Amino acid sequence: MSADAKERMQESSIAIGERSSYKRTWDLLAQEPDQAALAVAGHTDEATLELTAKGFIDTLRTTTGVGPDDVVLEIGCGIARVGKPLSRECLHWFGADISGVMLSHAAERTRGLPNVTLVELATVGLQEFPRDAFDLVYCTIVFMHLFEWDRYRYVEEAFRVLRPGGRCYFDNFPLDSKHGWSVFMESARYPVERRPSHLSMSSSREELGIYLRKAGFADVQVRDLPNELIAATGRKPD
Amino acid sequence: MSSQPEDTAKQVAALRAELEALRRRDAEFRANMVQEFLDHGERNTYVHVLHEERAALIKREQESFRDLEELTRKLEAEGGKVAALQAELARIKGSVAWMLSAPFRSLGGEPAAAPAGQTAAHAPVEGAPFTYYLHTSPFRIYRQKSFKLRGWAWPQDGRAVTAVRVNIGGRVFAGRHGIEEPEVIARYGPQPANPRPGFEVTFETPPGRHSLSVEAQIEGKEWRWIMRTTVWCEPEAR
Repeated sequence: MSADAKERMQESSIAIGERSSYKRTWDLLAQEPDQAALAVAGHTDEATLELTAKGFIDTLRTTTGVGPDDVVLEIGCGIARVGKPLSRECLHWFGADISGVMLSHAAERTRGLPNVTLVELATVGLQEFPRDAFDLVYCTIVFMHLFEWDRYRYVEEAFRVLRPGGRCYFDNFPLDSKHGWSVFMESARYPVERRPSHLSMSSSREELGIYLRKAGFADVQVRDLPNELIAATGRKPD
Repeated sequence: MSSQPEDTAKQVAALRAELEALRRRDAEFRANMVQEFLDHGERNTYVHVLHEERAALIKREQESFRDLEELTRKLEAEGGKVAALQAELARIKGSVAWMLSAPFRSLGGEPAAAPAGQTAAHAPVEGAPFTYYLHTSPFRIYRQKSFKLRGWAWPQDGRAVTAVRVNIGGRVFAGRHGIEEPEVIARYGPQPANPRPGFEVTFETPPGRHSLSVEAQIEGKEWRWIMRTTVWCEPEAR
């Protein structure tokens, strides 16, 4: 291989590495509480955060179900937008995120809630958690910021940490929706050399379904949600 | 004496309640298991120690930037006093009394000439109110040969920025402007005259103390400073 070719390869691996530096990316994006809320939810006021969280909890109710005895884990919980209200409806809510800075805002928002635990992930995966522990693992508005390999890694890890019979939920936006296409075109307008590492990338229905089936989940369903997201759900076999 | 169906219904209800209690105990056990796993897992590992050290270092860095900014402001205030005294001295030297007393002063010899100040290649420009943010803090000791300042700005009177530059000690470095800042626009709303308010300027940092001003050209005409400060460039570490 020529020196030029090696250099090109090296440059290419640096670029991909930037998107893989999830911890650095999200620690930077989460420096201020408002900035963190904007980065994960697109808005900053508490009323809207609560409203969108309730909308998502309704989605969970109709897809995986949520019960008062459920031990729940959210992957990529951010500022605990969903976890704060959901903790009132389950036995214990665990919020995991790769950004410690993001979790500091989550800690502030969930202060005083006795059944909430926040965990900073060291890297992609759920190695901080034991197997067969949770009734429900979900991951919302996260996959768009991850590479496909890392999306699958979280699905595999969700399978490991769920108890037999436990349920999972993963969502992303598809390209074939009005919203999905506008997100795609907005990102396409960035100059190549200035693309932020957290730019949103879509999933297809097939992709989400394959992840869950390959990881071992049963009863896999992929649905179109009213908010133009697609969601895959599954159950860990007993 | 109760009938047999009633007994059966009671037994079913009792069994259901027992099952519910059992499920709850199981869930509580799993929630506690995760907590214990977390307590005895990463928190006692070297990775966790490194995380804590990293967080402490980030905090220290932020504190030193704040101290440096405060010291800069104090020095600038002292610099203002020096300028006022120099103006007063110039006024005295231009007075009739000073000219009349010249022969007497020459008996004692002329005082040594003050070191010549750096001649600015570009005269300082006026300031104007801008809404701005600098992604890379200029409040630092500059140890590299050059520095890339990144940020965004727009004049509060709604006019368009047509160029951005940095003036450091009279040397001017042209920057690149018109860079997308979608998060900023999302937060502050559309800026019709400045839809892409981002900029970046790379400037050299010759050893010594210099005045630094970040300047914007308004609608292709006059230049106005966005912010200015004094900076130090340390030659030792080069």
